[in-house]
Amino acid sequence: MAEDLVLDTAIRDWVLIPLSVVMVLIGILRYFVSKLMRSFQTPDPKIVKEGHFLFCRQVIVRARNLRAAANFITPKSFRSRRVYFSNEENGLLFVPKGQAQNLQAQMFSDPNMAMDMMKKNLSMIIPQTLTFAWVNFFFSGFVAAKIPFPLTQRFRSMLQNGIDLSTVDVSYVSSRSWYFLNLFGLRGLFSLILGEENATDDTQRMMQMSGFGFDPSKSLSAEKDGLDIVQHEWALPKFEHRAEAVLKKLVS
Amino acid sequence: MVSKTEETQLNRLENQVDNGGGGAWEYLCLVRKLKVRRSEKVLKHGLSILNDPKKRSALGPEEWTLYEQVAIAAMDCQCLDVAKDCIKVLQKKFPESKRVGRLNGMLLEAKGSWAEAEKAYSSLLEDNSLDQIIHKRRIAMAKAQGNISEAIELLNKYLEIFMADHEAWREQAELYVSLQMYKQAAFCYEELILSQPTVPLYHLAYADVLYTLGGLENLQTAKKYYASTIDLTGGKNTRALFGICLCISAIAQVSKGRNKEDKESPELQSLAATALEKDYKQRAANKLGLLTCSLRSLKN
Repeated sequence: MAEDLVLDTAIRDWVLIPLSVVMVLIGILRYFVSKLMRSFQTPDPKIVKEGHFLFCRQVIVRARNLRAAANFITPKSFRSRRVYFSNEENGLLFVPKGQAQNLQAQMFSDPNMAMDMMKKNLSMIIPQTLTFAWVNFFFSGFVAAKIPFPLTQRFRSMLQNGIDLSTVDVSYVSSRSWYFLNLFGLRGLFSLILGEENATDDTQRMMQMSGFGFDPSKSLSAEKDGLDIVQHEWALPKFEHRAEAVLKKLVS
Repeated sequence: MVSKTEETQLNRLENQVDNGGGGAWEYLCLVRKLKVRRSEKVLKHGLSILNDPKKRSALGPEEWTLYEQVAIAAMDCQCLDVAKDCIKVLQKKFPESKRVGRLNGMLLEAKGSWAEAEKAYSSLLEDNSLDQIIHKRRIAMAKAQGNISEAIELLNKYLEIFMADHEAWREQAELYVSLQMYKQAAFCYEELILSQPTVPLYHLAYADVLYTLGGLENLQTAKKYYASTIDLTGGKNTRALFGICLCISAIAQVSKGRNKEDKESPELQSLAATALEKDYKQRAANKLGLLTCSLRSLKN
């Protein structure tokens, strides 16, 4: 149906703007709370773990450099370095199969680290849940906004959950979708206000969380495979000809 | 390394501040960001800001970073009382801080009390064994005391953990060269070339080390690396041009009895010699005669 619904400006004043303002304030509050909680935390005795991660990261960088610039060094040096990295017994990149699984399991069973992750998760989940419940309770049952582009019928259940009329155009959405829009959109605003490294970066943290445990063993074996594949082709003889050409141009 | 635009900006700010037109704080921030070592100027201008209470309060929380920067600059210029005052202020504000502990260690180092500084650093390392800066200070102390072999050992241990730190590899290479351990130095330069293959400096240094080691294979490899330096610098590097001439004549001498395998680049020597002559004509015409004589003696 192509008819336009006229939405009361009171909706804009009393729904859209307050919702955004509340979300910004909650974000700022969370940032300060997380800063406070961080200052209470004593340095954990997981420095050994951190040291291991740091070491692995450095090894990976060095192995990556070797792969990228392999053609710049003599074949002999390349081969000796490759053996140093992927040697079966004590090569740096070689991770015995048993150890790979172990590391991750160890991380999750470590009580300190588990508490830490729980705390971070909680500080993320609880405000989100509360705000969501509040939005649902107060701001449901009416059309809040109109999305400027047309949508298919499939989005109806997601965006229009409070509105029980099935004939309303899907572009007219409830305030729940405004909440989600704000949730993902305010990230940029927070990085402007609060500077970098603010704790409201939910989606980024979720990605970080999943990549945490796998960091060492998987990347190490990936680097090892990459290094094994490399065919060394010494590029330096080519450089002699290039130098000749350069000098010829310079001298003439 | 500092890029050209940053360097010009730094010099401009330096001139501006030296001649009395404001901008001292921007200059200090830029020096801190680029990690350049201009200790006298930092000391002069930093102190002028710190001694003026109005300007000091205008800095807000950055005041403490300025104290740290001025303390380090003062230690570099051997104004140890200034450094001690700055550190005292910082210690009052941050009593349990590791950064202040590090500054205390550096002050002991500057005074020359090596044993106490070593004790201070070891205790700091016990709390946090992953602090790169403290490791580097210990290495610097060993080097300052003239104990190069211990510096090399400490640096090796450091590089076992932090192997992606290319500045450390560079320092290690120079330490090895100073002890004439050329094979190990060559290894370090290879690491540097791997991490930054387009920097001609490392190719040049590697070629120098290989040429010094001698032997037919090394000389040939050195020639190739001199050639790559020429390629990377567009033929303007005088040292590489000389290197090529010397390498070729050395190879000719070493392989006098064997087959002359000159198939790779026969014209390279004459080209290099011509380029050198052209360069000297432009920049140091009075030495041109000397150059032609030595080049001729190399060819024979």
